[in-house]
Amino acid sequence: MPRNPAPRRPLALVTVGLLILGSAACASTAATSAGSPEHPGALAKNCGTGKKFKIGFAQANNAEPYRQHVNAELTELAKGYPDFDITIADGRGDSNKQISDVENFSTQQVDLLMISPFEAQPLTQAVAQLYDKGIPVIELDRQTTGDKYTAFVGGDNQAIGKEAGTYTAQKVLADGGDVAILEGLTSTTPAVQRTKGFTEGVAVNPKIKVVAVQPADWLPDKAQTVFDAMLRANPGIKAVYANNDLMANGAYLALKGQNKVGDVAIIGTDGLPDQAGGDQAVLDGRMTATFVYPTGAKEALELAKSILVGCAKSVQRNTAVDTTLITKDNAQAAIDKAKS
Amino acid sequence: MSTQPTEADVDADHEVLTAFDDGKPPATAGVRKWLRFRFLIRFQSLLGLVLVLFGGIVFSPRRNGEILFLSADNLANIVRSVSETGIIAVGMTFVIIAGGIDLSVGAVLGLSGVLVARLMIDWDYGTVLAIVIVLIAGLLFGVFQGLVSNYLRIQAFIVTLAGLQLARGLARIISGDQFINISFGSKPKQAPTSFSLLGDRLFGGVLPVSALVFLGVGIIGSVVLNTTRFGRHVFAVGGNERAARLSGINVRYVKIATFAICGLTAALSGILDAGQLAFANPDSGTGYELTAIAAVVIGGTSLFGGEGTVVGTLAGALLLGSLNNILQLNNINANLQLIVTATIIVLAAALQHLASRRSNT
Repeated sequence: MPRNPAPRRPLALVTVGLLILGSAACASTAATSAGSPEHPGALAKNCGTGKKFKIGFAQANNAEPYRQHVNAELTELAKGYPDFDITIADGRGDSNKQISDVENFSTQQVDLLMISPFEAQPLTQAVAQLYDKGIPVIELDRQTTGDKYTAFVGGDNQAIGKEAGTYTAQKVLADGGDVAILEGLTSTTPAVQRTKGFTEGVAVNPKIKVVAVQPADWLPDKAQTVFDAMLRANPGIKAVYANNDLMANGAYLALKGQNKVGDVAIIGTDGLPDQAGGDQAVLDGRMTATFVYPTGAKEALELAKSILVGCAKSVQRNTAVDTTLITKDNAQAAIDKAKS
Repeated sequence: MSTQPTEADVDADHEVLTAFDDGKPPATAGVRKWLRFRFLIRFQSLLGLVLVLFGGIVFSPRRNGEILFLSADNLANIVRSVSETGIIAVGMTFVIIAGGIDLSVGAVLGLSGVLVARLMIDWDYGTVLAIVIVLIAGLLFGVFQGLVSNYLRIQAFIVTLAGLQLARGLARIISGDQFINISFGSKPKQAPTSFSLLGDRLFGGVLPVSALVFLGVGIIGSVVLNTTRFGRHVFAVGGNERAARLSGINVRYVKIATFAICGLTAALSGILDAGQLAFANPDSGTGYELTAIAAVVIGGTSLFGGEGTVVGTLAGALLLGSLNNILQLNNINANLQLIVTATIIVLAAALQHLASRRSNT
């Protein structure tokens, strides 16, 4: 049986608990205010400086490189917010598990919920229940359906795809040429939006032709097989855009197999700074460039601060975080920044 | 509650069983002394559950003197969180006691979820009819696996491993490789509102319907296993198949029936899954077969067959759920939760082995 690690809670926190319990009675008020045009959302019933706040983050699945990166960045940045006590729960890629996590945060009476729902619809009701109790909800990267959340922070996949497309059209293949696209799982929104954005982006250069678009389900081994076939069918391919860096690496392996490394530019997405991530691949010259899919951790913490500490009356409901282009010039800097 | 038929229950054909050695090692003198207390070990999972609940109270975070672990909401959440794997575990108990195993249940859950969603959304079936069709489909899937296993003489492990792939494949075909969002209403492409009842909570929003269904299935399963002739036959077939056959039990029928029960419970879980989440994903339930088997093993059922209880399985499932809940409420690392679960599975199996040693001299 594990020791009880529950920290001694200062008196202030007990007061917070009392107020939150009391505020549960006003849940219906919070629900109706959510329907108002300004969407002020469920802002904190208890807030102010000099208090301790408990924040629960329900992560979709810790066993994904991107989500590990989000957790690491959030934990690191949270050190700059001594008032916040952040707990991360691992949904293990199972909506039922994640619903339990949200319910447990509710039992623990957290002051604010952050969540990246594994699947939108299944988590909606559980999140709405907390929201209706008057607990502010910040959704990170992925959204539930409906409008029972306080704020959403995430990258704009279509905008990121478009930037990659424009970059390819203007910097990589200014003279034009054949381009291939490796898509993620086509039943997922990011795959559809990134591909759509990229297609729009490359359209600025009429000399570029998209000759092949194939799904490789986000997987490097599948990408290798698919791109190998694409290359044989279209030997004129000058650049390949992959919806994520793992598939970009698969494309690199296919090029290596055909002794064509360097003949084809590889543009990826995600730009994770860890050893196996896209930043390192760009630095090593295996990829031409990648576009960072931002974690939104910084923006989410700032939102939490203005809600809990700043007692904000309303916050920006949707925050789109900009991407960053990673090339050989700034790859090392990006890796170093994540390590510090 | 009695775990196996008592002496008085045993009918004539059952007595033949004792004439055969079941191959388990005889107990040494030291162990024999302890075997007097083995009736306690029979209830190991119940004792374990009590211990875990006690631990939950002791280690529970508190606010204003309220023990958060014991709040009605939290206890209801625990039962809800294990309801789907728990229902499957009840069916799995029958299969395992009869000496089999069913690895297909998680995939059958996914298949049933998308099937019930499509039936209501795209093919305009009413709630009751859609549920009945899916339950029958699950039952037939089990019967099919039982037939293949018994008539082609392939081990249950292999047949149901293939069944897992088959069910996932069918689920993806039926769903068209898409997630299905279920919206409720009377318009076309909507599910009947009554189906949303499965995700509701009764008694002032506290008791989830899925938790009630789970407890109901547990009671029915326990009654069938302990009080019916069929239940006794399940034990006989799993304990010593040859003896059971010689005493006139239709062994094939019994084995196929246990697979049918297991398929039925998996289908029920899939329907609940879709109802609770208002969502159907062909990949739902991945890995649930292992959680269900863990609950059965912790419940004191022997993987060699012939021994076990449904009550133990219920306690095993609730034990796993309570344990995860306590660890989560105390913010213990998620990976450690898996390790604690692993320890409990091994501990339960070791106790079970001790309990099943024969005390013959």
